[in-house]
Amino acid sequence: MATVQTSMPLKPTRYPSIRAAKIRSVIVNRLLDLLLWVIVFIILIPIFYIILASFKGRGEITNPTAPVIPEVWNFKNYPEMWRQIKFGPLFVNSIIVVGSTTLVATFFAALAGYALARFRFPGADAYSLAVLGTQIIPGSLFFIPLYLTFLWIKNTFGIPMVGSNFGVICLYVGFFTPISIWILRGFFANLPPDLEEQAMVDGATRFTAFWRISLPLAGPGIASTAIYIFMTAWNELFFGYTLGVKTVPVGIRQFVFGASGTQLRYDLMAAASVVITIPIAVMFLLLQKQFISGLTAGAVK
Amino acid sequence: MASVTFEHVFKRFGDVIAVNDLDIKIEDKEFLVLVGPSGCGKTTALRCLAGLEEISDGKIMIGDRVVNDVAPKDRDIAMVFQSYALYPHMSVYDNMAFGLKLRKVPKDEIKRRVTQAADMLGIGHLLDRKPRQLSGGQRQRVAVGRAIVREPKVFLFDEPLSNLDAKLRVETRANISKLHLQLATTFIYVTHDQVEAMTMATRIAVINKGLLQQIDTPQTLYDKPNNLFVAGFIGSPAMNFFKTKLVKGDGKLFVDGGSFKVEVPTDRNNVYMPYLDKPVILGVRPENIHDPNFCPPGIFAQNIDGKVDVTELMGNEIQLYVTAGEHSFVARVDPRTKVRMGESIQVAFNMGNMHLFDPETEQAIR
Repeated sequence: MATVQTSMPLKPTRYPSIRAAKIRSVIVNRLLDLLLWVIVFIILIPIFYIILASFKGRGEITNPTAPVIPEVWNFKNYPEMWRQIKFGPLFVNSIIVVGSTTLVATFFAALAGYALARFRFPGADAYSLAVLGTQIIPGSLFFIPLYLTFLWIKNTFGIPMVGSNFGVICLYVGFFTPISIWILRGFFANLPPDLEEQAMVDGATRFTAFWRISLPLAGPGIASTAIYIFMTAWNELFFGYTLGVKTVPVGIRQFVFGASGTQLRYDLMAAASVVITIPIAVMFLLLQKQFISGLTAGAVK
Repeated sequence: MASVTFEHVFKRFGDVIAVNDLDIKIEDKEFLVLVGPSGCGKTTALRCLAGLEEISDGKIMIGDRVVNDVAPKDRDIAMVFQSYALYPHMSVYDNMAFGLKLRKVPKDEIKRRVTQAADMLGIGHLLDRKPRQLSGGQRQRVAVGRAIVREPKVFLFDEPLSNLDAKLRVETRANISKLHLQLATTFIYVTHDQVEAMTMATRIAVINKGLLQQIDTPQTLYDKPNNLFVAGFIGSPAMNFFKTKLVKGDGKLFVDGGSFKVEVPTDRNNVYMPYLDKPVILGVRPENIHDPNFCPPGIFAQNIDGKVDVTELMGNEIQLYVTAGEHSFVARVDPRTKVRMGESIQVAFNMGNMHLFDPETEQAIR
C-alpha cells in the first residue's frame, strides 16, 4: 500500500468532546444531589422548628415576631414537662401497647403474606382484595361501629375493651396487619421458591422451611414492616385518646387541652415531642443493619 | 439405596398434561438420565418423585414403599437444584449440616460426615464461607455435598451443570460419574443436554411432550432409536433425515430420494419389503457419511453427488453442509478431505448404519 501524503492537519481527536460530555453529566449529577438536599431540608424544617421551639420560653413561642432561633436558650422545658405530666408511666404504657401491636401484627402479616405469596388456594384473590379494601376506608369512619362493638364485647363476654390496653392493641393489630400483609407478600414472593423446596427435601416441614429459611431471608422486609407499624402506632392519637388509653401522644395532648395548670403550654409540648421521637430513632438504629440489601445474593444463580 | 418405580404416573396442570403415563422402573444403583427438550415434563417428573408436586394419577414407589402421600422430608431423597438453592444466610458448613440437624443426628456425626464429604469434593477449605463468596463451580459442589451428607436412598439432580461454563461442565460431569461409582446409590438426573445423558447414564429415558419415547442404554438409543424424535435428539450434530421412497430394481431394494438413489443392504430386504413403493424417511448420521477417498474399510458404501455449502474445520474432522437436490444434510468427514465451499463433492453413505422411519407413525422400521 502506498503511503498517503496529506497536507491537511490531522483531525482533532474526539477525546475533548467525550470529556465535555462527562463533565456535563457530572454537573447534572451534582445539581440533582443539590436538589435532593434541598428537598430533604424542606422535609426537615418542621423537625428543626420543633427542636428549636423546645428551647424557647412560654411567651416567645406564641409571639409571631420572635426569631426562629431562641433568643435565650431555655433548658427548663424538659424537666418541667416531665414533672407536669407523669411521662414515665406513659412511656412504659406506650411501649407495651405499641410493642405488642408491632409483634403481633408483624407475626400475623408474615404468615398471611407468605401464604398469599406461595399458595394457590380457593379465595386467595378475594382475600387479597379484601385486605386491600380495608385500606380504602378512612380509619375515623370505623370509630362509632368500633366503639359500639367494644361495648358489646364488654357486655357479652366481660372483656374490657374501652379504656384498656388490650382493646387498643386489638384495634391497632386490626389496623396495621392488612397493609403489612401486602408489604410482606411482596418480599416473600421475591424469594426463590427453590430454597424452601430444598429445605423440604432436606427434611423440613413447610413451616420449618418458612421459619428457618424464608423468614430470615425476608428480614429486611420484616424489619421495615415492623418499623412502619411501630412508628404509626407510636404516633397514633385519635383512637388512643377516644378509647381512653394512656399513651404518649394522649399525654402530650394535655399540654394544649389539659387541666388549667398544663393548658396551652406549647413550649412543653415541643419538648415532649422531641423526647417521644427518641424511641423511633432508637428503633431505626437497632434495625438498620437488617436493611442491608442483597442478602439473598449467592442463593441461586 | 433403593429402586424407584413410576407406575402410570400422570401430572396435569389444568388442561396441560406435563407427565403423561410415565411408566419406568429404575433399578437400585442405576444412573438414570431423563432427557428431553425444555418443557417436556422431565423436571416435573423429578419434582413428583421428590414430592414437590402431587401426582394426578398413578403410583410412585421408592423401594417397596408407595410414596404418593409421603411428605418430601420423609422420602429419604436428596436433590440438587439447577439453581443450587444454597441457603444464603448460612455458611457452607451449615448449609451441608442443615438436613442432618433437622434429623437430630449427633453433632460429632454431623461434623464427621460434613468434613468427609467436603474433602471428597475439595471444598474443605470453604466451610466457613457464605454462598455469595463462592464461585459457580464451588456453589455447585456445595449443593452436591449437601446431598451426599444426607446418605439418602436416591439422589435427584435437576440440570445441575447448566449454570457452569463449558470447561467446568465437562470436568464436573466426570466428577458426578465418579461420585456415582463411589456412592453406589440410585441417581436420577434430569438434563436437556444429550451429551450429558450419553456420557453419564446407565440408561437414558428420552421424554417429549410428557411422553416417554424410549428408555435404554446410551448405545442402544444411539444405534437403534425407536422413532424420529429419539433419532433426532440423540447424537450431535443430529441425524440427517431425507424424505424418500422405497423402490425395487434388479431384485434389490433402493431408497430413492429423487436426486439420489442408494441401495439397501440385502439383509434388511425382508423387513423393509412391506414399505415397497411407499414414502419412507431415511435417517443417516453425519458420522456415517464419508469422503469416498477416506472411507473406512468394509462398509457398505453408496455414493451420492452434492454441493458443499459450508465447511467447518474442527481439527479432528471437517463438518460439511451439503446440498443434494432438494435435500440438505451434514457430514462429518476425514480432515484430509480437500473441498471448498461451493464445490461439488461425492460423499459415501454407510448404508449398514442407515435407519428407515414410517412417515405416518414416525416409528422406526425394523
